[in-house]
Amino acid sequence: MKTNATIFSVAILMLLNINIAHAETINAHKTALQVAASTCSACHGEQGRSISPIFPNLAGQTATYLADQLKSFKSHTRADPDAVAYMWGIAGQLNDDLIQTLADYYSAQRPVTKSVADLAVVSRGEQIYINGVIADGVPPCATCHGPHGAGTDIFPRLAGQHAQYTLKQLNVIKNNLRNSAVMRNAILGLKENDMTAVAQYLQSMGM
Amino acid sequence: MTFKKFVLTSLLATAQLVWVMPVYAVPSFARQTGMACEACHTIYPQLTHFGRLFKANGYTLDNMQGTVHDISTDNKETLSLTGTPPISLMVQASETWLNKSLPDSTGSNGNAQNGTVAFPQQISLFYSGKIAPHLGAFIQLTYGNDSGQVGIDNTELRYANSIVTPNEQALIYGVSVNNNPTMQDLWNSTPAFGFPYAASNANVSPLAATQIDGTLGQDVAGMSVYALWRESWYGELGIYRSAKQGATNSTTGAAGPLDGSHSNVISGAAPYYRLAYEHQWGRSSLEVGLYGANFKLYPGGSTIDAPMSLTGPANEFNDFAQDFQYEFVDDRHIFTLSGTRIHESIKLNASLADGSKNDLTTSRLWGSYYYKRKIGGTVGYFSTTGSTNSSLYSVETTSGVVTSVNGSPDTKGWIAELNYIPWLNTKLALQYTAYNKFNGSSSNYDGFGRNASANNTLYLLLWVAY
Repeated sequence: MKTNATIFSVAILMLLNINIAHAETINAHKTALQVAASTCSACHGEQGRSISPIFPNLAGQTATYLADQLKSFKSHTRADPDAVAYMWGIAGQLNDDLIQTLADYYSAQRPVTKSVADLAVVSRGEQIYINGVIADGVPPCATCHGPHGAGTDIFPRLAGQHAQYTLKQLNVIKNNLRNSAVMRNAILGLKENDMTAVAQYLQSMGM
Repeated sequence: MTFKKFVLTSLLATAQLVWVMPVYAVPSFARQTGMACEACHTIYPQLTHFGRLFKANGYTLDNMQGTVHDISTDNKETLSLTGTPPISLMVQASETWLNKSLPDSTGSNGNAQNGTVAFPQQISLFYSGKIAPHLGAFIQLTYGNDSGQVGIDNTELRYANSIVTPNEQALIYGVSVNNNPTMQDLWNSTPAFGFPYAASNANVSPLAATQIDGTLGQDVAGMSVYALWRESWYGELGIYRSAKQGATNSTTGAAGPLDGSHSNVISGAAPYYRLAYEHQWGRSSLEVGLYGANFKLYPGGSTIDAPMSLTGPANEFNDFAQDFQYEFVDDRHIFTLSGTRIHESIKLNASLADGSKNDLTTSRLWGSYYYKRKIGGTVGYFSTTGSTNSSLYSVETTSGVVTSVNGSPDTKGWIAELNYIPWLNTKLALQYTAYNKFNGSSSNYDGFGRNASANNTLYLLLWVAY
């Protein structure tokens, strides 16, 4: 009888723990949704599809990359001007659980597709993305970011991103303001007009 | 005091309020959120889309770790006090030159000095930020060199919360208690936070202004409920009551109640409404909206010779306004174009036996450009036109300047302002105001030979906030 009572007690406790864990997950998701819909959305748009090209789309971004960036903002290890002005303050309010829940939430959203007017530039951008610029020592972007720009794990999704935002980040990384040594080495030789071309191509991807 | 003199005094006092109405950005918000000014402002005090949401959310976005906490038994936060209270200080110092010196008020043949140094013109102390999880405040105390006193300035307490629908769309809602109609608004096209953002208080102010155009600021208290749907549709309904500062009941000496000895007291509660829609595309946003209020005011201000209680017919001021605001925000270039038109229908049921009907219309249009948030400027047009009414506007004085010889309130002109922003919390402004018409005329508007252009004003301002 004593054993049965113990088993019963353990079962109840396990059930309670599961319920508590489930309730905590629901609460974390609810909080993340509230933060996303009433704060993040002001710049990054509903469901992470931003309207202004100053601010990046987050929809469909890899969760690992998002969580890593939020932690970098919070610890001030990412220090480009927009990170300092906007995201240091925002990310400072997030604990690790909320960071992960937000990252999961945005990675699950439908990515953005965009249109691009200048097809000649897009074509040049596609060449750079697929083949790199050997003469300038620039490796193919697709090596890390994938053939369709969808990203994986720590390598971010680039497909559908605002060209203006991508171009700004390429310059920020080149100027060593983003603590991203691998990416900096990869693009150090990339010329300004080639940056524009590849940014335009990335914006057009996913159409 | 005769009725005419009383009306003039009231109008002058209120017009002065309108003309120097100060508006600010507050570094304590930046300190609280950990975000730089540019998140909420293009150039202060013009709000960005994010700034509008920060305000709609009750100034509660918070990046500060609480040093004093309490929670309820169901683990809800009941107290969170930060180590640093959200306090800011603002200083304005200025110099003002008029195109033509004012006559000496002693009646001698000479003129007043031209070139008024104001050090400071104003000093303000703010408590602006989060109070509790859904409660925030914007409280401003201001010392002015004209009054030589510290007084309450624009002040608001705001509760805000949000609902997220199952398809993840947000409805932000809240309650604002404030002391200046439109100070709670989210766009800079409405009067309280509109252009000019700072102006001289050593200039000559025109006679006429509508009630919603700052005339009742710090003289009323209002409560309104609002909702913002998907960051686009905004609706607000509220009421305002008289809440005079420094006013006492003559019988008891206590802070109230108000009676016939007080002037321009709201009869009951004045309704206020606001509807706006903002559309965003690319780097741009466009807002169009309308707002208004209906003020029934007892003229009061009675004397032993002319007793007047707060009963019977009241003067009615029905304000109906439209506004728009276009914003283009990029890293290098920022451009805004804003405007508003306020039409006021006036029925002087209490002041004049025939219940004389009048109207007053104020229009403003201004555009700003800034390069890299460093250098830029604004050009604006303003116009106030209305019924000619000698009882309201044509008051005889011995020296003119602030009067209208023909009883017309019409005033029109331009403002051009250059700004240099060496740091984001420091602004240098050089502003020129040119009048095409002043209190009804271009020339000899006061009957003493003063032309509208004589009141053109050059204003140099240093404006810092910390």
